[in-house]
Amino acid sequence: MQEGKVLPAAQVNRDLLRSIMETPQWFWPVVSILGLIVLAAAITVGIMINTGLGITGLNYKVVWGFFITNFVFWIGISHAGVMLSAILRLAKAEWRRPATRAAEVLTIFSLMTAMIMPIIHTGRPWRILYWAFPYDFARGIWPNIRTPLVWDPSAILTYLTSSTLFVILALVPDFAVLRDRTTGWPKIVYTMLAMGWEGNPRQWKLQIIAGVLLSALILPVFVSVHSIVSWDFGMAVAIKSWHSTVFAPYFVVGAVHSGVSAVVFAMILLRWAYGWQDYIRHEHIDALGRLLIVVATGWFYFLVMEIIFGIYGLEGDELAVRALQFLPGDHGVAYNVWMIIFVGITYFLPVILWLPKAWRRNLWIMSAACISVNVGMWLERYLLFVPGQANKQFQTFTWNDYLPQWPEALIVGATFAFVSMLMLLFSRVFPLVPLYDIKEGDILRTEIQVGRRNLTATFRED
Amino acid sequence: MASETQAHPPSADHGHDAHEHGHFGPEMWVIPEATGLVAEVNEKQRTTPGIFRIVFFAGAALTILGIVGFVLKAVTVGFSDHRAWGFYVAAFAFVFTLTASAPLAACAFRFTKSHWRRPLSRIAEIFSLVSIVNILLFIPALIALPDIGVMTESGEQMVRRSIWFQELVNPSGWLLAGMIGLSFCSVAILWLAALPDMAQSRAHVSGFRASLYGKLAGGWYGTKRQWQVQKGGLAILGALYFMMVVFVQFLVVSDFAMAMIPGWKDSILPPFYTVISFQGGLAAILLVAYVMRRWGGYRELIGQAPFWAASKVLLGLTLLHTYHLFAFFITYWYGRLEVEQAILNYLMFDSYLGLFWAQLFFTFFIPFPILVSNHARREGWGAPLAAVFILIGLMLWHIRIFAAAFAAAPAALGGLYYLPSNAFSFPALLLPPPAATFPDLWDIFMILGAVGIVLLVFRIGMMLLPPLSLWEMKEGSMYQRVDTLIRGRYLVLAKPE
Repeated sequence: MQEGKVLPAAQVNRDLLRSIMETPQWFWPVVSILGLIVLAAAITVGIMINTGLGITGLNYKVVWGFFITNFVFWIGISHAGVMLSAILRLAKAEWRRPATRAAEVLTIFSLMTAMIMPIIHTGRPWRILYWAFPYDFARGIWPNIRTPLVWDPSAILTYLTSSTLFVILALVPDFAVLRDRTTGWPKIVYTMLAMGWEGNPRQWKLQIIAGVLLSALILPVFVSVHSIVSWDFGMAVAIKSWHSTVFAPYFVVGAVHSGVSAVVFAMILLRWAYGWQDYIRHEHIDALGRLLIVVATGWFYFLVMEIIFGIYGLEGDELAVRALQFLPGDHGVAYNVWMIIFVGITYFLPVILWLPKAWRRNLWIMSAACISVNVGMWLERYLLFVPGQANKQFQTFTWNDYLPQWPEALIVGATFAFVSMLMLLFSRVFPLVPLYDIKEGDILRTEIQVGRRNLTATFRED
Repeated sequence: MASETQAHPPSADHGHDAHEHGHFGPEMWVIPEATGLVAEVNEKQRTTPGIFRIVFFAGAALTILGIVGFVLKAVTVGFSDHRAWGFYVAAFAFVFTLTASAPLAACAFRFTKSHWRRPLSRIAEIFSLVSIVNILLFIPALIALPDIGVMTESGEQMVRRSIWFQELVNPSGWLLAGMIGLSFCSVAILWLAALPDMAQSRAHVSGFRASLYGKLAGGWYGTKRQWQVQKGGLAILGALYFMMVVFVQFLVVSDFAMAMIPGWKDSILPPFYTVISFQGGLAAILLVAYVMRRWGGYRELIGQAPFWAASKVLLGLTLLHTYHLFAFFITYWYGRLEVEQAILNYLMFDSYLGLFWAQLFFTFFIPFPILVSNHARREGWGAPLAAVFILIGLMLWHIRIFAAAFAAAPAALGGLYYLPSNAFSFPALLLPPPAATFPDLWDIFMILGAVGIVLLVFRIGMMLLPPLSLWEMKEGSMYQRVDTLIRGRYLVLAKPE
């Protein structure tokens, strides 16, 4: 399975620290463009706060639109970090090594981005204080802690904290390498971050144990975060198509689907941008592609269950929402067309592309498949949330549709620029492929001769 | 330069500590001598240890008891009152759950190229033989299942909720076709996987087995092309089987449980049932492997590694089980819909309160601490012990869901609760929740018989086929060795494409 060659430690350091030690010509122009997009979005948010939510497509009927869709999307992307890092570390999958850091960092940045979305969505960002403090101090009226809308920030903040710890813990040995290779104020910063790391057996042992423990402890948090996000919707009985028991695992598997796809795409970009062909190899992308086939099929199964049991009840108002989702009609937005596109690009197209081994090893095809999944997963959330609210009820005054306006589109688009910019800036100061993990893999690597073939093998402790 | 060496993870030192603490020992990974493996396993098969005789006779006795219970129940009650057959359906569903998923373990861990699976693969595949029995057990369950709809004397069409959507089609044919297809597929997997072993064992056996192996594996010579076809075939059949298992389980749990309880609309139940089935299947495999290792004379062939590794998977499935249960509970409980509160009351808080907590203890609270313990997992007894509790818990789960479902469908309407079919408005409520139903003597006989028939058929399978996947173990022995890394001795594993 392992195809690359064992490289000397000095070369590993040189290659993987290239993003920090040298600045590619394209770096600052790209970061500047991304920064400008983010700035434009920030100005738009300012206008929206000043003018009110009226400039968006949100209305009295459809109150959760692009912003909340985007919130759930980024929470989903954040699930790649733990999926790849913690689970594969516990499973001792060798091919995880180059992917873990990028996945963990993507988790942190996507969580930060996700958390911004509900704040923007409130229209009055200062009101987020009411999530934690009494909204009438004099009478001590506290927020309702029994609502998932309060569980949400708690779960997300816990996840953000634990993910950050996870990243820092794995970075400590790499900080030490950077400390020994820098001068001036960067050296001072890296020295502080390295926390006296000498690389002695005791420190390694503690680092490994802490990594394994955090991996195990972070898993329940990982599952709970998207479950709770799903319950923001699943607990709401008033909106038909939302109240479904399968939402929690369906959201979690969907999050892994989109998150891992995003990581694959990010890895391909990094490989291309920094010339890490020796580290992010075709075998890694291939293994992730195979994993994605399984995850995608699991997700598709949950999707089918959600739809079947939505119809199963044969309750009039639920059937009306399903008709809106799946059947052509006289309503303004052709949700049924979007639904076909969404299922096609989220499951059928990528899985077809992932099935042949040669295609899994073609980086262009893999990139296309992973982008397709993420576009589809964004659509999935939109089509899950909006039709239920837009559904025509018995009285005409409860009818309305939702057409997103330019501020929403710009802000949502800018979140992609924001995460990309943060990833690039991170890669400028910290290694996005873990040095020590790559070296450990090289040390543990050996060969076994079977017949006339030499097979790559690994030393195992258990 | 110093920093470069400092930044290396001292795997050797770390591993050396681990070695001293016993992470890797001969008991953990057994590397069998490949050359004598076939003769050794065939010899073990010939000399039946006492435990296997006990299993055979206990299985046969319990099966007879079950048949007696079934006949007497059919004679005394008949099939017209579906409520009388809830425990039978629960027993069938329990057997189906375990035996349909067990062969999947062999396919799944072969797909992930897990080395530790090798001693477990054949045990998992032999459960395929029990799937033939599933077809027989399924027929009475189908007869007991109330129709989806009937025309009343007044000409009104009365229907109940169903995944067949009130089309008044008879789902029995489709259900039976699914079950037969599943059995065929699993037996095909068993045959294909056992083909090289049967061919190799021809020289070591005599009598009926020699004749059987000659017929089933006559054309196998172990050419490169045959191996390619065999491995490719196993991969394709495994994928097909996986999809079929999930689909048939969806049909069974929807038709025989959810559709029977008025107002129960629960999209998580089929995935939940699938998780339960994977959990039960793996638990059953581990239990059999432990019995074979501990009392069956296979100690030197089945190491501790399968238990150590599989127990982590079992732990994951146990957590998933509880997660799905919680996801179901919290959505219903928080929603506060009357219809959902009624179902919670019936299945969890009121009628089946005691059974619910007993089941939860057996499926989670007891096995969880066992499976979390590194010591229990490493020693090899932790996973089988947890498996025993899990299997008891799953039996209780099936009784709580299936027997309760059959008891809840209103008898007066023959299980029909929509009036009439074109008024698809509100589901009937389960108010007040019916009292819990208890098994009579014949039900107990049938439950014991269901367990007995699994033991009996499995034991016959062990007698007929090599109980260990010889070719996989021989293959595994080529892909592993013990080697030195700096100062420690470690296992080295190769994972070819």
